[in-house]
Amino acid sequence: MIEKMMKTQLFAWVDKRTGAEAIIKSQLTEYPAPKNLNYMWNFGSLALLMLVLQIVTGIFLVMYYKPSAEATFGGFTVAFDSVERIMRDVNFGWLIRYMHAVGASMFFVVVYLHMGRGFYYGSFKAPRELLWIIGVVILLIMQGAAFFGYLLPWGQMSFWGATVITNLFGAIPVLGEYVSQVLVGGFAVGDPTLNRFFSLHYLFPLLLAAIVGGHVHALHVVHSNNPEGIDLHKPEEMIPFHPYYTIKDAFGVAFFLTIYAYIVFFNPQMGGYFIEVDNYVPANNLSTPAHIAPVWYLTPWYTILRSFESKLIGVLAMGGSLAILFLLPFLCRSAVRSARFRPVYKIMVIMFFIDVIVLGYCGHSAPTPTLKIVGQLSTAYYFLFFVALPFLPKFEKTKPVPEGI
Amino acid sequence: MKLTNTMMAIIAAAVLGFSVPAIANEGGAHLKHAEVDASDQAQIRRGLGVFTDVCMGCHSAKYIRYQSLMAYPEIGLTRAEVDELRGDRSLMSGMISDMAIEDAISSYGKAPPDLSLIVPGRRGGANYIYSLLTGFEHDPEGKVPDGNYNPIYPGGRIAMPDPLSWLEHDEADTAEIEKQAQDVAAFLTFIGDPHQNERRAIGCWVVGFLILLTLVLWRLKVEVWKDVKH
Amino acid sequence: MTDQANQSRRNFLYVAAGGLGAVAAGGMVVPFIGSMLPAADTLAASKTEFDLSTVEAGQLVTIQWQGKPVFVVHRTAELLKQVDGHDDMLKDKDSKAIDEVQEEWMDTPEKRKYRAIKPEYLIVVASCTHLGCIPLFKPSAGRKEWGDSVPENWPGGWHCPCHGSLYDVSARVINGSPAPHNLHVMPYQYKTDTTVVIG
Repeated sequence: MIEKMMKTQLFAWVDKRTGAEAIIKSQLTEYPAPKNLNYMWNFGSLALLMLVLQIVTGIFLVMYYKPSAEATFGGFTVAFDSVERIMRDVNFGWLIRYMHAVGASMFFVVVYLHMGRGFYYGSFKAPRELLWIIGVVILLIMQGAAFFGYLLPWGQMSFWGATVITNLFGAIPVLGEYVSQVLVGGFAVGDPTLNRFFSLHYLFPLLLAAIVGGHVHALHVVHSNNPEGIDLHKPEEMIPFHPYYTIKDAFGVAFFLTIYAYIVFFNPQMGGYFIEVDNYVPANNLSTPAHIAPVWYLTPWYTILRSFESKLIGVLAMGGSLAILFLLPFLCRSAVRSARFRPVYKIMVIMFFIDVIVLGYCGHSAPTPTLKIVGQLSTAYYFLFFVALPFLPKFEKTKPVPEGI
Repeated sequence: MKLTNTMMAIIAAAVLGFSVPAIANEGGAHLKHAEVDASDQAQIRRGLGVFTDVCMGCHSAKYIRYQSLMAYPEIGLTRAEVDELRGDRSLMSGMISDMAIEDAISSYGKAPPDLSLIVPGRRGGANYIYSLLTGFEHDPEGKVPDGNYNPIYPGGRIAMPDPLSWLEHDEADTAEIEKQAQDVAAFLTFIGDPHQNERRAIGCWVVGFLILLTLVLWRLKVEVWKDVKH
Repeated sequence: MTDQANQSRRNFLYVAAGGLGAVAAGGMVVPFIGSMLPAADTLAASKTEFDLSTVEAGQLVTIQWQGKPVFVVHRTAELLKQVDGHDDMLKDKDSKAIDEVQEEWMDTPEKRKYRAIKPEYLIVVASCTHLGCIPLFKPSAGRKEWGDSVPENWPGGWHCPCHGSLYDVSARVINGSPAPHNLHVMPYQYKTDTTVVIG
């Protein structure tokens, strides 16, 4: 189809003025991709799909959403009322809102799997360090955007989540109080907070779109890693991205959309994990819900925060647990990329995945003494994983790496 | 392919593990299962009757306009029936209780929550509502006065005085009160998300279509990838 | 299987996938564009009740209906007489170019002339059919009160300040005006003798 389009006169006219043909050839029809990529390589295109869906649904929601904490009848607010108006009165408003709310969680599902792929197959290693670092920036901005967005419905979880997280910054020595005031725009989360969070929630996805452009560009300079984690040189090891991977990605997209649509239409709250029960209760600054926790995709880091007695150390550990992701390419010294040929790393990285899930579970549950210890041990392993990486090549006996595929 | 399998196993284990705490309700007490059908017009209408006769003495449902009682096919009242319910309130007015919130606070000590979102807003949903309404008991320790003791409610002490007179009912009325409680739970389930039936109906088509699209793209992928020699 | 059969199966799958993809894209447009149409509460609030007895004889009152201004004029016997005698000045004296809603009850030449269910009460949308300004009510005939803002043979009616469109006392547009149509009559009905429901 692309070939036919490229033969038209209209395309020739555009090509003369933009160099479109060269771009399409170098980025699609002649862009070389390893022929042995497995389905774990589908999550990049799915993440892009989710970003687009979140932006589009968000733009339509903003047509009706009102960022105001002004009180209305019955203990509600203008913001909460406007969300309910979207859910009840706006044509298909319920669909667009559920797509957005479920989409936030699915975006994280996809991105975490995408990152897990990178961990397992060593995709962060040279020459892809910068590609990985840009990816971590994307993750941080996503987490920020999700956090800002969660305040907007102005439910109990919105309000108290924002209160807890903004208070974290109070732990910073000397400047702490000012930092939280800058975030909140007052002395407690209130109307000014809602307005600035709304502004930033609109800004961050635009930043994301730009940085994702950089991520894709960086990828197309260094090219995809592959499950064997080896450099490919022979032309018979490569296939053009289009049509092979465009069609494979399209299949992945359709499969993913089926699951996504199933959740949106039949189980949008996902048992309180995607839209929390307490967020159907309007925000009340005089009463904290019995159990508050961030949404599931932030809970691993929340557990790390809670694992320390000192607030300051907790905040530093949480920040450190994210910041250490930037260092991953430099901590990992092994000459072999893929965990397929690294028996020790393979066990460590699978344990790391389980560890993050355990951290998430602990952060979502009400704190009990047992869970606290489990959380602390998991936190310890989280950091141990990164700290051990530089020493691993000293005693890990890697399996022989194949010459080609 | 190996990692894919490992990942799937980890995810499946996580989903199973995580879904356990989501079932527990606020108080931790065991909830009775409510027979509730948010697409059953008869049950929703009976529930509406309980709601207007009993609940609306104190509670409102501000997101449900009188006009919506005609507009939602799941309720489908006629104009005359709505006119009788609303009295001199506007058609566009929400279902607001006659009791002022300040009066409720001075009588009961706290504002009665709006019931528009009570089902999605409580752990256990309709089962919680049903269990709560039929959960009033005498406090075994005798500390909480009758009508305020309800082990289903978190903490056990509830400001709402036994609305369906469960505590002192005759044995013969048990079934009737349980039915009323389930009916009102059905009504509240419906108004918590009034597009839920439409959503599920459209969902069947959308998911069915996407499965078809997935199958076609899968066959196409297999077909095109025959060119690639492994 | 031959290569040819392979090729045709592949083409079929391409076309099927493309077709289904197009259906999916089209299906997505429905909810998103649909969400921009008036919401259910906006539609439900689209009827306005009005008590005509509050309008004094000869008075014009502007009320709101669906966020738009609506003129309600209590026409005296004298004003009703001003409707006659200038048919040659009108672009569309029988309101032929009107919506189907009006035809339900505008069934006699008489009603087409007065453009009201009860001739004493004219109810029209107050937006000039040219570009939507609100015309000024200038009921008395001739230039005595209005100076040269109206023509010499002014039968009384409305004058739009934006681009000079003129309408008579039945809100019918006068020749030479930029406005293409008479002011619109919206659907309305009498609920009681003096209360109308507009919309």
